[in-house]
Amino acid sequence: MNKLKLNSSSITFLPILVCIPIAYELLINFHIGGIELFKEFIISAFNPKINNEIIFTLVKRLNETIIIAFFSWLISIIFGVIFGILSSEIFYQILNLPIFLKRFLNLFLTFIRSIHEIIWGLILMQIYGISFSIGIIAICIPYVAINAKVFSEQIENINLKTIESIKQINGIKSSTLITLVWAPVIETFKNFGLYRLECAIRSTTVLGLFGVGGIGTSIFLSFQTLNFQELWTYLWGLAFLIIISKELLKKFNLSNTSKKFLTSFVIALFCISLFSLSFFVYFIFNKNAIPFNSINNLLISNFNFISYDFLKLLLETIVLCLLSTGIAISFPPIFILILNNKVGITIIRIISFLFRLIPPPVLILILLMFNDPSISLAATTLGLHNAAITSKLLLANLHNQDNKQYIAMKSLGVSKRSSWLFGIFVKQANSYLAYCAYRSDIIIRETAILGVIGSVGLGWQLQESLSSFAWEEVIVILFFYSSIAIIGELINGKIKSNLT
Amino acid sequence: MINPLLELKEVSYKNKNNFTLNKVSLRIQSGEKIALLGKSGAGKTTLISILNGTLKPNKGRIKLFNTEFDKLNLYQKSKISTIWQDLRLIEDLSAEQNVNCGLLAKQSFLFAFKNLLNISSFNKAHQYMQVCNLKKSIFSKNIRKISGGQKQRVAIARSLIQESNILLADEPFNNLDPKLTSNIKNLLLITKNKNKIKVPNTTLIALHRLDLLDGFNRIIGMKNGEIIFDLEKNKLKKNHLNKLY
Repeated sequence: MNKLKLNSSSITFLPILVCIPIAYELLINFHIGGIELFKEFIISAFNPKINNEIIFTLVKRLNETIIIAFFSWLISIIFGVIFGILSSEIFYQILNLPIFLKRFLNLFLTFIRSIHEIIWGLILMQIYGISFSIGIIAICIPYVAINAKVFSEQIENINLKTIESIKQINGIKSSTLITLVWAPVIETFKNFGLYRLECAIRSTTVLGLFGVGGIGTSIFLSFQTLNFQELWTYLWGLAFLIIISKELLKKFNLSNTSKKFLTSFVIALFCISLFSLSFFVYFIFNKNAIPFNSINNLLISNFNFISYDFLKLLLETIVLCLLSTGIAISFPPIFILILNNKVGITIIRIISFLFRLIPPPVLILILLMFNDPSISLAATTLGLHNAAITSKLLLANLHNQDNKQYIAMKSLGVSKRSSWLFGIFVKQANSYLAYCAYRSDIIIRETAILGVIGSVGLGWQLQESLSSFAWEEVIVILFFYSSIAIIGELINGKIKSNLT
Repeated sequence: MINPLLELKEVSYKNKNNFTLNKVSLRIQSGEKIALLGKSGAGKTTLISILNGTLKPNKGRIKLFNTEFDKLNLYQKSKISTIWQDLRLIEDLSAEQNVNCGLLAKQSFLFAFKNLLNISSFNKAHQYMQVCNLKKSIFSKNIRKISGGQKQRVAIARSLIQESNILLADEPFNNLDPKLTSNIKNLLLITKNKNKIKVPNTTLIALHRLDLLDGFNRIIGMKNGEIIFDLEKNKLKKNHLNKLY
């Protein structure tokens, strides 16, 4: 008998098997109690509430969202670049500094990156209360570290010979460094940095659900009062904002800007970075942090973290990650394969846009209308939201790929679906899986949001501990959250390097 | 005896398991025009990389201006410029920005920053680019969008703008047509200042083409990481070349 051999394409489809336990649990927990509400929710999508009052609120909330998202994006990009350079080897090579400083900085960045912005937000809100600044700082903390990682990876790709040739000119070290890192930084900003604004808008919305302000707060309040027409007005407003911001940023081209504008832009960036740094320092040290009594209290923990309940939550979080990742990987190629025609692809695009638009906490509340809280429900929510993101990338890559092999296969009489699978998808499978490995890093962090809402995993325990100001428990949970994220990142890093 | 400008004493360089340079000694005096000959893999590029300080030898000593190489400051080290065989230009920057990079040793950090923002002065860069037969139309073009020959001349302009004392060049005439080869060779070897630009008066050029030996006053032959002959141009015989190839 032949041995089973797995290639990238089959590995892409295999995770669909996670649907068996998920479907089983969802069927057991299914009820029709909220079916009327769900109908109303769907109808409201086509009939949002429009009057002067709600338009005024929408504009006000969108303004708040733009302010939080824009500033957190800008600050996280500026400091992402700075920390990206500081955590790349070339910096230590050119300035002749000891490499252990890089390792130390990387460890620190890995830790702050491993904790989701929502968790940072919840912690900061408990300590400092609710304010706009909390939203900006909560998003900035992990975003700076994420951006730093991406910028540093691109800087590390600079050709060694180019480094040697510029070093050989023997200019002052700072000039040599900036000359070498400039091109990869600008390129990464164009390819990755601009896209991060969309992410910042989504994060601001999700933070809004927890009370920071902006459109998220209105979405959550509308949902709580079951005012779906109002909810859809806000959701369409958010969709409008995301589309407009994307279109505006597409037009932003550094190379075509005038010299005067470029100089003012650089001066503005410099001023913003100085201001944000000083504000951050002021915020941390001058605000009244009553519950944060002393460091000693935090370090002396009597929380029983090896208890059965805690281990169960830990295991739930890991299972939630695996199930969601399975959905996020396998759904897009399977649905594109099944609905492989123009109408089908348009339907996939619309549905995936909606799943990206509706924040996961709202999505899980919608699903809770006809299902009880469970790991499967949380996994379905997180999986669908992330599948919508992976499908966007997959569709874009498939669109840009040449279809010579597809035509050749079809000319041989092979069916349309098989031709697509072997003539087009096979070429994309490797890079798609590599992106999914990166995506699963994000899924691990996002389990926190679903945990808080869906009563599963460590997220739920974190919410409980934060509400009761049990800082010792918070520290222990953060430690485990961070450990899971770091281990996941290491495993995914290995997978990515094997695939690319 | 006059102190040499650049001196190598018993220099060896081991790459993984093999010696690519084996006990090489060399004295380069000011004003010399040296052609470095040898088959591919003879050790020419390694020797140039050691002379400009990119590679550190496993054994032996290097002196520039009678000072140990490790004890030189950045300004002294910038007195050596190099044209690399694989050019090593910065992609994503324009031709003129790449040439301006040659000025990094003489200018401040602000200049480097303005160069990257494309708001620095390019007058000097343009002067050197014109001397290297580059047309105005390619000055501001991205380095990725110009031909191999144009890139070669950008790399030459970048090293000339450094206004160094010693020029090390690793097969600088690759990608150039015969007329351009002749022009660039004259530019690198003749120090008469027709174009009001400063050209290094000491030159060491690694070559493959024997028809380009005119204009050099010293020929060094390398084989298997060792110098097998080092003589004046007029003493070069056919049997010397037979030993090399």
